[in-house]
Amino acid sequence: MRWRLAFLGGLLLPDLALDPFQGGLAATLRHPLGTDDLGRDAFLRLLLASARSLGFASACALLALTVGLLLAWRGRRLVGVWSALRSLPPLLFLLPLAAALDGLPALPLGLLLGLLIAPHLEPPMRARLEGFRHSPAWAAERTLGAPWPSILHRWSPWAWQQAVALFPSAWLAALWGEATLSALGLGPGPGQDSLGRLLAEELPRLGSDPSPLGWAALAAVLALAWTSTPGRRPQGAA
Amino acid sequence: MSRITAGLVVWGLGLALALGLPGSVWRQAAPPGFPWAAVGPTILAVGTLSLLAPLVAWRGGPGLASRRSLALLEAPPDLLWAGLLLALWPAAWGPPGLGGWLVAFLVAALPGEARWLAQAMPAEHPFPQAWGRAAVNRVRWLVLLRLWGRWTTARLPVWLTATLVLERILGVPGLGTDWMTRVAVRDRAGLAGWILALALLWLLSHRLDREVA
Repeated sequence: MRWRLAFLGGLLLPDLALDPFQGGLAATLRHPLGTDDLGRDAFLRLLLASARSLGFASACALLALTVGLLLAWRGRRLVGVWSALRSLPPLLFLLPLAAALDGLPALPLGLLLGLLIAPHLEPPMRARLEGFRHSPAWAAERTLGAPWPSILHRWSPWAWQQAVALFPSAWLAALWGEATLSALGLGPGPGQDSLGRLLAEELPRLGSDPSPLGWAALAAVLALAWTSTPGRRPQGAA
Repeated sequence: MSRITAGLVVWGLGLALALGLPGSVWRQAAPPGFPWAAVGPTILAVGTLSLLAPLVAWRGGPGLASRRSLALLEAPPDLLWAGLLLALWPAAWGPPGLGGWLVAFLVAALPGEARWLAQAMPAEHPFPQAWGRAAVNRVRWLVLLRLWGRWTTARLPVWLTATLVLERILGVPGLGTDWMTRVAVRDRAGLAGWILALALLWLLSHRLDREVA
């Protein structure tokens, strides 16, 4: 989880300088993947876009985990509501919404993604918390009438540890959600460079006029998918 | 409030949202007709998937769920398969069209669905393994037969999402695009129809879930 959280810093990285007169250069030692149409070094752009995408996914996953934890702990009476919300994949809701609004800016997209992923984390989270809920430790806390701040202080690290096991699946769902929206031209605007945005620019020309940046972006997505594959993903968290 | 009632309240809210969708299009036009031409290819795609995935799960058994190779095939998002298809499709053949869409859909969905089914299958050790191969095959067959209805109803919205992404990237009009178009043109009645269909699927998957349990 830590290496994923480290990419939160990627959201603060500055944009690369534009140099249109150096646009479309072929790969050289100085520019290993050449330059894009606006003269930015393609390799640096790929690194920056990847870092921002990973950081964005980490922020969404953190939000989803926090909300999922709350739903699992406090929302037991509303499991039917979470079940109905789970039956609609996040992208099936986000794609038409983004199309109707001509794209979603980064902040609303992050909030929506986090909130839509959270119900998918609720069942595995509830399964993890249920044992504790029926344990003598929790019964003692309630019998002794411990105040909420002290209960939170004692148990929130443990609860967070339970939630952290689900971080990779939430992270992947957020990463692919943002990448898909951006690749379809419905994500954040040009100010927010990301892997999906790179794919949106490069995919249409891959068949006829491929650039090293296009192939590198595809390879980066594939490498990310393969290196981040969790052992067992909770069903439905697609 | 029971689970079903709570869920129905959510779907009711969704329906109200669809019927009262804010905004209007700049130039009012008649809502597009239902893409009946896309129904045949969709039935073909879903039918092939709903036969192939149980077949793979039947061959592999519950052990398939933890197989690394399947997880690696499942990991890439739908857009990557569509991107690879676009990149590798010979330009001389023209656009990939429905054939390319079908291939991309099956490649994108099959590994995940096979793993979903394998995960839902019960362990086979010590029984029925001890009774021999024929018993194992028979038990797998019976389990998959019971799972099939619940699996298809629960996964249809996920497949609709996959086909929507692939349709957009490959430029093929289909059912996923129709769902999106109705939001864009503010066809509230058409959208309500979609919501009702999704609610019905959810209800059906719940009823089947209870039967299996």
